Amino acid sequence: MTATSPIPQQHIDCSCRLPLFALFGGAAVWLALSSVFGLVASLKFHAPAMFANCACLSYGRAFPASQLLLVYGFCIPAGLGVGLWLLARLGRVELAKPFLITLGAKLWHLGVLTGFIAILAGENTGHEWLEMPRYASVILFLGFLLMAVWAFVTHTRRSEPALYPSQWFILAALFWFPWIFSSATLLLQCFPVRGMTQAAVAWWFAGNLLNVWLPLVGLAATFYFLPKLAERPLQSHYLALFVFLTLIVAGTSTGIPAGAALPAWMPALSGGAKLLMLVPALALAAVVVLTLRGSTAPCGGGPLCFTKFGAWSLVIATVLLALTACPAISRVTDFTWFSHGRNALVLYGFFAMTMFAAMYFILPRLAGEGSVCPHRVRAQFWLSMLGTLLFAFSLVIGGVLQGLKLVNPAIPFLDVAKSSLMPFRISTLGEALLLVGNLLFLFNVGFALATYYRARCRRVFTDATATLEPAGVKS
Amino acid sequence: MNAEPKTCSATTEADPVSETTTVPMWLITLALVLLFLGAWVFDLRGGWFEPKVYGPYTSVADAGRFQPPPPDGPDVKRGKVLFEQNCALCHGNDGMGKPNQAPPLAGSEWVLATGVNRLIRIPLVGLNGPIKVNGQDWNLQMAAMGAQYSDDQLSDLLSYIRSAWGNKASPVTPEQVKKVRDDLKGRSQAYTVDELMKLPE
Amino acid sequence: MKSAATIFLAAFLALSASWAAFVLAPQLQLGREPQAKATGTDNLYPVARPGLAKQGAEVYRSLGCVYCHSQQVGQEGVKCEVILTEAGTNASVTLAALAKLNTELGQPQTLAALPKVLMPVADVPTAVPIIKAIAAVGAKAEARVTPVGADISRGWGLRRSVAQDYAYDSPVQPGTRRFGPDLANVGLTKPDVNWHLRHLYAPATEIKGSTMPPYRFLFEKHKRGAKPSPDALQFADEPGFEIVPTDDARALAAYLVSLRADAPLVEAPFTAPTPAAPSTNAPVATNRVASLPYTASELLKLPESSK
Repeated sequence: MTATSPIPQQHIDCSCRLPLFALFGGAAVWLALSSVFGLVASLKFHAPAMFANCACLSYGRAFPASQLLLVYGFCIPAGLGVGLWLLARLGRVELAKPFLITLGAKLWHLGVLTGFIAILAGENTGHEWLEMPRYASVILFLGFLLMAVWAFVTHTRRSEPALYPSQWFILAALFWFPWIFSSATLLLQCFPVRGMTQAAVAWWFAGNLLNVWLPLVGLAATFYFLPKLAERPLQSHYLALFVFLTLIVAGTSTGIPAGAALPAWMPALSGGAKLLMLVPALALAAVVVLTLRGSTAPCGGGPLCFTKFGAWSLVIATVLLALTACPAISRVTDFTWFSHGRNALVLYGFFAMTMFAAMYFILPRLAGEGSVCPHRVRAQFWLSMLGTLLFAFSLVIGGVLQGLKLVNPAIPFLDVAKSSLMPFRISTLGEALLLVGNLLFLFNVGFALATYYRARCRRVFTDATATLEPAGVKS
Repeated sequence: MNAEPKTCSATTEADPVSETTTVPMWLITLALVLLFLGAWVFDLRGGWFEPKVYGPYTSVADAGRFQPPPPDGPDVKRGKVLFEQNCALCHGNDGMGKPNQAPPLAGSEWVLATGVNRLIRIPLVGLNGPIKVNGQDWNLQMAAMGAQYSDDQLSDLLSYIRSAWGNKASPVTPEQVKKVRDDLKGRSQAYTVDELMKLPE
Repeated sequence: MKSAATIFLAAFLALSASWAAFVLAPQLQLGREPQAKATGTDNLYPVARPGLAKQGAEVYRSLGCVYCHSQQVGQEGVKCEVILTEAGTNASVTLAALAKLNTELGQPQTLAALPKVLMPVADVPTAVPIIKAIAAVGAKAEARVTPVGADISRGWGLRRSVAQDYAYDSPVQPGTRRFGPDLANVGLTKPDVNWHLRHLYAPATEIKGSTMPPYRFLFEKHKRGAKPSPDALQFADEPGFEIVPTDDARALAAYLVSLRADAPLVEAPFTAPTPAAPSTNAPVATNRVASLPYTASELLKLPESSK
C-alpha cells in the first residue's frame, strides 16, 4: 500500500461490488414502495372516504410509512453506498471488510422493514422523522455502525494521503449520524424526557438530518461528480471548505419551527441559524457556476443533468429555508404545505437526483458495460425532474397561498382547507410522475444487477463445462 | 464519458482535482452581515435564554406588565404563610393555642376586638403576665415576635388571624400598623394586660 | 483540512454546540419543571389526564393524527383594556368621572349607554390608577388582558401554548401542519364526547364539507337487534343499523375532550373569564360533575373498557 505501487482501480471497484449492490438494490425497492404509499396518502385528500375501513392505509400511517421508506429506506443507504465508493476511490484503497459492510447493509434494510411494518401496524412513535419504534431503531443503529466503522477503517488505510473535499463531507456525515440518532432515540424512546423537551429533541434531530446530514452526503457526491462529469476542476478547494464549515455550523441549529411552544430563545436562535443558511446556499451556487464555466461536456439527460439539477434544488431549498427566518414570512408559511414542499425539494430534488447520478455512474463500473441503458436513464431524468418540480413547487406555492388565508381569521377554516386542494392536485400529479420515474429507476438498477449476475452465471457455467469436457474425453 | 469502461476495467480514471482560488470577499462580507443581523434579531426577540419568556413577550418584565394587579389591601394568603412559619409553633395551625405555650386566637376577644389599637401592640413589643382568653386564665410570656416585620407583612398576618378559623373581623391596614409602630418608637418593654386595658380600643 | 482529525474536531464543535442548546438546555429548563399554579388561584396546572384519555393519546399517536392536526396555538400580541363591571348608583358622578378619564367616550347621557369596554390601555400598571379613580366614584372596573392573533381569533385557544401545557404528555404531539384545525383546545370548544364519536365515524355529518377522512374502522356496524346497544350512535342515512364505537374510538374521544389549555400562567397571562374556569386537563365528563371522584357503585355502572 505505498504510493509507488498503486492498487489498480479495478480492484477497488470490485471490492465495493457486494456492499453497494446490497445498498443500492434495497434502496431502489424502498424508493418505489415509498412512492406507492406516498400516492396512497396523497389520494386521501381527493377522496377522503377511500380505504376508510382500513387502519393501515389511513393518512396518518401511509404518510409516515412513505416518509420512512424515502429517508431511511432510500436516502441513507444510497448515500452510504455512494460515500463508501467515494472513500475507496479517492483514498485509492480497497474497501475494508466488504462482507461486514454488506452485513451492515442487510441489517439496515431489516431495520427499515421492521420500522415500516411497525408503522402500518400503528407502532408509530409520534415523533416526526423518527417514527420507527425502539426495536427498529436499534437494528438501524447497529447496521449503520457496522458500515460506518469499516468505512472509517477504509479511510485510515488510504494510499492517497491528500484529502479531496468530498472526503470531509463523508467523514463528517459518518460522525454526525450516530450522534444525532443515538441522542434522539435514547431521549425519546429509551428514557423519554418530559413534555416539550421531547419536541425540542425531535426537531433538533429532524433539522440535523434534513439540513446537515443529507446535504453533507449529497454534496460529497456533487463535489466529486460535478467536476468529473463536466471535465473541469472543482472551483475551488477553499470555497468547498467554506460551504462545509458554514453548513455544519448553521445547519445544525435550524430545526425549531418559529411558532413552537418553547421559550422564545429557542425559535429565535433557530431563526438566526436559518438566516445564516443563506451563506452556504450562495457559496454552493458559486461553486456550481464557477465549476461549470467553460465546460463543454454534453448534459443530455445523463448523470451530469441529475447532478446539476440536484445542486440547484439544494440552493433553492436552502434559500427558502433562510427566508423563513423572517418572522413575517414564517408567520405565513408555518403549519402549511410549504415545509412539505421544501422537504420534497431537498429529498427528491436534491438528494435523490444527486444519488441517481452517482448510482448511474457507479453501476456500470461494478456491473459491467451495457448494464445501464442511457435511454432509460434519460427517460428517468425527465420523469423525476418534472415530477419533482410539480410536486415540490405546487406545494411551496400552495403553502404560501394557504398560509395567507390561514392568518386571516375572517376566512373560515374549511374554506382555507378546501382552497389548498387545487395546488395539492397538481402535486399529486407530480407524485404520480415520480412513482413512474422511481419504478423506472428500480427497473434500471434491477437490470444492472441482473446483467451482472447473468454474466457471472454464464462464466461459472462456461468454466464448469470447460473442466467437464476434457474429463469426458479422457474417460 | 462516451467510452464506458468494462466491468472493473483495467483503465484508470482520473479523479477530479480542485483549484485553490480563495473564497470571494462578497461571501465573507455577507456571512458577517448575516451573523450581525441574526444576533440583532435574537437580541430583540430571543428573551436571552429566559425559560419563562415566550413570544410575543420579549422579557420577564414585559410579560409582567400583563399579570393581574395585586389585590387591594392586606393579602391574607401571604399572612397565612407568615403565620404558619412563625406563629403556628405556639398558637397552632388551627389557631386553638397550646397548653402552657400560647392561648388560642380562634374566637379570642383580643383578636376579634372592633378596634385594633391593642391587638397591633402585642406582636410589636410582646406581652407578659396573666391574661384571660375565652374565659380561661393564662399566665405566659410572649416576645416581640412581630417587630421584625414590615407594616405590610404585619397587616397581612393580623388580617389573616382576624379572618381565619371562623373569625370574622375587619382587616388591619398597613396604615394602622404604621401609626401604632410610630407611637411605640423607643419602647422595647413588653405590655401587660393592665397597661393594654388603659389604652383606647 | 489535512486529516480526519481536523474534520472530526470541526464536526464535534459544531454539533456539540447545537446539542447543548437544543437537547441539554431544554432538559435543564423544562425537563424538571414542577406543576405551576394558574395565576390568581391555587389550582395546580397541568394535571395528568384521566386514564381513558391517556389511552386515547395512544390511539391519537398510533393513527398519526399529528400529520394533519397541530396542537399549538400561536399568539401575535396582547391587548389590555379597562372594562366596567359595575356602574355604581350615582349616575351623574360616575359619568362625569368617566368622561374625564376618557374623552373619546363622548358624553353618554345614561349609564346604560356606557360601553362595557371603557378604554384600551398599554398594560396593567397603567390601568391600576384608572380603576382606582373609577372605584372612588362608587363604580367598579377591572383590567382585562386578552391575547390576540389569528389562531386566537379562530377560537383555537385563549392564549398561546407554552411548554407547561404538555408536561404530562408522552409522546408530545405538537404537530407542524394544519391540514385540519388546531386541536390544542378542542375540549373547550367541543366538550361533547358523542359529537366527537359521530364526527370520527362520519365527519361530514357534523361539519358540512369536511375534508377529514372518516375513521370507520374505529366503529362496529351491527344490524339493530331486539336489544339495541346502549352506546350505539344513530345515523339517519343508515336505517336498521347501529354504529357502536370500539374502545379505541371512546378513548380517542375522551382524549380529544381532555385537550384544553385554559389556565392563565405567568408566561402566558390573560384574564380568565369569570368565574374562573376549572383549569385542568380533565375532560368534562358528560352527565356528571367533572371534579367529583367516582364512587364504586358509579364505576360498576360504566362499561368495563372505560374505567
